[in-house]
Formats: sequence, C-alpha cells, structure tokens
Amino acid sequence: MEVRARILARIRKALKERPKALLPEHPHLRLGEEPLDLFLRRLAENGAEGHLLNQEGAVGLLKELAHGLPGVAYGKGVPTSFRLFPELPPEAAPLGVSWALFAVAETCTLALSSEDGRKAQLLPPTHLVLVERERVYSTLLEAFSEQKALPSALGLHSGPSKSADIGQVMVKGVHGPGRLVVAVLT
Amino acid sequence: MRVKAKLYPKEAARLLQEKPSVRASVTGATLHFERNRLRAYGEIDAEAWRERARRIKDHVLTHLDHYLELAEKRLRENGVQVHWAEGPEEAHRLLREVVARHGVKRAVKAKSMLTEELGVNPLLESLGVEVYETDLGEYLIQLLGEPPSHIVGPAIHLSLPEIQRLFHDRFGTPLDAAPEALAQVARGVLREAFLTAELGISGANFLVAETGTLAVMENEGNIRLSTSLPRVHVAFVGIEKLLPRFQDLALFLPLTARAATGQRLATFVSLIQGSAQPGEEGPEEVHVVLVDHGRTALLADPEAWEVLRCVRCGACLNACPVYRQTGGHPYGYVYSGPIGAVLDPGLLGLEEAHPLPHASTLCGACQEACPVKIPIPKLLLAWRHRAVEQGLAPTWEKGAMRAFAQVMGSPALYRLFSKALRGLPLPQALQDHLPLLRAWTEGRGPLKPSPRPFHELWREIKEETHGG
Ligand code: SF4
Repeated sequence: MEVRARILARIRKALKERPKALLPEHPHLRLGEEPLDLFLRRLAENGAEGHLLNQEGAVGLLKELAHGLPGVAYGKGVPTSFRLFPELPPEAAPLGVSWALFAVAETCTLALSSEDGRKAQLLPPTHLVLVERERVYSTLLEAFSEQKALPSALGLHSGPSKSADIGQVMVKGVHGPGRLVVAVLT
Repeated sequence: MRVKAKLYPKEAARLLQEKPSVRASVTGATLHFERNRLRAYGEIDAEAWRERARRIKDHVLTHLDHYLELAEKRLRENGVQVHWAEGPEEAHRLLREVVARHGVKRAVKAKSMLTEELGVNPLLESLGVEVYETDLGEYLIQLLGEPPSHIVGPAIHLSLPEIQRLFHDRFGTPLDAAPEALAQVARGVLREAFLTAELGISGANFLVAETGTLAVMENEGNIRLSTSLPRVHVAFVGIEKLLPRFQDLALFLPLTARAATGQRLATFVSLIQGSAQPGEEGPEEVHVVLVDHGRTALLADPEAWEVLRCVRCGACLNACPVYRQTGGHPYGYVYSGPIGAVLDPGLLGLEEAHPLPHASTLCGACQEACPVKIPIPKLLLAWRHRAVEQGLAPTWEKGAMRAFAQVMGSPALYRLFSKALRGLPLPQALQDHLPLLRAWTEGRGPLKPSPRPFHELWREIKEETHGG
C-alpha cells in the first residue's frame, strides 16, 4: 500500500493548483453510406474477403474453404448447422470458424468474444467469421455504446494479420490468420 | 535500459558516418508512415477529433487520482490483481514472485516501451527465463541485441539485406530469401514459444477506468496470442494511460491508428476485462502494474505536464526532419524523436537529457501531426531555456546564439556577415575549430554556401514577378 499512497499523494499535490478540464461528449457521426455496403467494401480494402449470404450460401462457402482439409476448429457459438466437418484442436486446424458478436462498418471490424474461444480465432492460418446482418453497426461509437456486458476479452479483428517490419515489405499471416473471410448472414 | 541521452550529438554524427544505410531506411519508412497519416487524417475531421482527444486526456490528467482509484476498483472487481510501482524495483519484485510461483521457464512479450524503461527483459533473463519478443520488428532487434529505434516500427533502421544476412546466420535461410519466407521462419519459432510459454507480458495503449478495460493495439496478432495463451498475463501500464469511459475508445483507438500508420483501426485490438471465466480459454491470472517512473514529476511540471497526453503513436517521429536522418538510437533512451526530446528530460532529468531538446529545427511539423495536440515546439524551447538557466547548454552555443540574435536583429550586420560567409568554403582546419560550424559539419559534408545571398535572389524574384 505504501507505494500506492505515495503515488496518489504526489498526484494530488501536483494537481492542487491546476484548473480542472471538462469531459467532452462524443457526437455520433453519420456515415453517408449503408453500413453493410461500407463494411463489405472496407473488408476488401483491408485485404479480407466479405460475402453477404443466406444460411445455405454460407454453408456452401464453408464447404469450399474446408474442401480437402482434415478438419476445422470451431468457436463455441458457431451453430450446429455449420459443424459439418471433423473438429480439430485449433493448434492443428488449417481453418478456424468463429461467431462474431458484432461488426462495425466505419473501421471494418469484427468483434470476437473470449466466450466463443480465443484459439480458433488466432491459431489457424485461415479464419472464417460468421456475423448476422442485424449486428453490423455503422460506427464504433454506436457499437460500443450498446454493449451491456463485456466478456473477459473482446478481440477486434479488422483484416488479416500483417507486418511490414522486414524491409518495409507487407507480409500477411505473421502470427494470426493470414486470410480472413467474412460471411454476413441474411 | 542504459541511458546515453547526454551523448546525442556525438552519437548522431557517428551513426551518420559509420552506418549511412540507416538514414535511407529510416527516411523511407517514416515518409511512408507520414503519407499514410496525411491520407487518413484527410478522411476525417481531424481537427475536431484531435481537439476532443486533447480535452479528454486533459480531463483525465487533471482528475488522475480519481480515475486511478476507479480503475483499480474495477480491475479488482474483474478479478485482476493490481500492483503499483514507482519504477523497476517494484516491477522486478512482482516478476520474481510470479516466475517463482508459476515455475516460469519461458515468457512471450508483446511490444511495450514501458517494459523497456523498466528493464523487464534483462531481469527475466537473469532469472533464467527465456524471453521472446513476439512483434516481428522487436524480434529482429532482440536477435541483434539492439534497442528499438521507433515507437511503432522498432526495426525501421534495418534494410532488407541486413535482415536477410541476420536470418542467414541464425537460421540458415538463403541470403536472397523473400520477406515472406523470413516471416514464416520467425512465425515458426515464435508459434512454438506462444504454445509453451507460461507467462505473457504486455503494455497497454489505454486503460478504461469505468470498466477496467485494458486496450492493446497491433497488426500481427502477437499481442492477442501473448495475452491469450500463457497461464499468466502481466500488463505494465503507465499511470497516464487512463481513459474515463469505454466509449472513449471509439475515438482513441481509430485516432491513434490513423496517426500511427494511417489505418482506420489497428488490425487487432485486444480489449481485456480480466482473467478467463471457468471453462474459457485464456489466462487464469491477470496482473496490472500501474507504473509511475517519472510521470508524477512530469504531472507537477506547470509546462511539461502536457506531454502526458501522448499516446505513443510515433507520428511526430515520422514528421520530424531531424529524426529522419538517424532514427532513434542516437537519442540514447526508449523515447526518441520530438516526443523523446520533450519527454526524456522530464523522465530522466535535464542533467541526463539536455542535448535532446536541441535535436529539432522547430519547424512545427510534429505538433501538426500529433493526435493529442501536444505543443512540442513550445516545450522544446521551455526545456532549452531551463537548460541554459541551469548552465547545461554547451558554452559555445550560448555565445553563438547571442551573436546570431544580434546579427539577425540588424539588417546591416546581417548583410555584412552573409557577405563574409560567402567567402567560404572555409579551410577545413578553421571549420573544425569553430564549434558552431563543427556541430553542423559533423556527419555532413563541408558547408558549400550559395554564391549569392537569399535576400538578393528574393529581390530579383520580386522584381521579375512584378515586372512581368
Ligand atoms: S507526442 Fe503526439 S505525435 Fe508524438 S508520439 Fe506522442 S501522441 Fe504521437
């Protein structure tokens, strides 16, 4: 406790004469475009693949991605209708499938909960994320304002893993998935 | 980390002479970052975003005791163990304890400037723990035994051939291996480390008081992995990193990404509320260490306290014509470039860091770039002024500056002096003996003055335009 008390005391002393600054509110921005269209467009800009699909189409996409693979790692929230392939541990799976809490058009972001399981989101080289159309928010502020309870970890993914640390050349799939495929479900 | 800020001018000159390739690498990378930032700022009402960010940070800093106590309370409610540290001593004590209790043999680290301040790697290594830096750039410089040269791109001073040579020597890859191939080698080594490490260490970009959320930004996925796979996660957080509300992240995450790399958001953001719930994947133990290490002293400073708004985006480095020549190494401390020049004297004391505020042309580009509007040029001048008051400026400089002011203040003297100077080039021996000239020519070629003075050319141009 001693260190804590010392630090807090120094802060209070430092702030004694300092005028207090007010906390501004955040204005909600209007984007000039349908969130869904913007989201899909920005996914492509960020090097990811986005599709608007019904249930059948999404299962078809999964079949295409899993074709020839020994198995798939599933997030806990992925509906049984998608669990068509043998389940592999994420450490060994070439494909991970997750169920996103929500998506954000402004920043081209998928929000992935730790409740869904973190390894399937991170370890396989290809990541398929399913998100419901009604869960695509327009802005980050809108999405954050509506979250009531937060999981122990919320991962925001906005594209494939990448790095330009080797000679300024962009390389994909450095640690996380190098391929990100998104199915927005109608 | 060993502090060498006092040696800045000498180290900068030496680097320019001995490793000329650094200038090309750093200039290329920073100009690239800078172009991306300008494009990303152009897409938003940057002035409004920056002003709001400035005001929120000022609010937090002027209520810092309140928000720290609130954050601590929320973190504890979330099951996080909270610690306070003045500096390395308490940080090391905690790490020793965690390493002993969990039998830690291996640690994976996500890039964090604060852990550089605290000497976390040397401490862990002294305990027999294998430490892996997992950000690709950090991993490269760890292999080379070098400190980071940029807040965001720690290895931007390295050229591709240098990295190819490094991997050739270490892993036997061909000397002309493509960046993709090198990245795959690093991925393999580090993947093994992620899967076997007992301890994950990170910093934080932000700590939200209202929810006790740690927010960490990155592009590779290594931070998500470092904070998800090992049994224990320890996060070191500077006490200035607080934000009041979860909503504030909706401004600070995208604004910081735009300033740093020109992205709309970092590819991966981890928003961490605590340890894993029963049956969930994730660390069973999460520690947050709230670190002062010079920050309360800065907070008490009536001028320099504004640097505590800094979100470590590196935009001021990318915008700085002086930083671009050398990268961060000559600055001799964790923080380099314009932010280093105004932060380091506060964290280290002027005695240690007084040359750094001189590493600037006062062009103001840093302030224009800064997402939280830190008045860097004003603070550079403030530190310079204090250095002179404390007798820390080199004596030749005081004399030279006084003479310069006199000459510049008098048109007649100025013309006379500039005529005399155009009698140059001065003999090398004489240049070497004039301290002001030497400071300039070290690391550059000899001065080659324009044959005609600017004021003459200017008059001519004016006459031409008016005449035509
Ligand atoms: S001073 Fe401003 S521009 Fe520089 S790193 Fe800090 S926040 Fe970024």
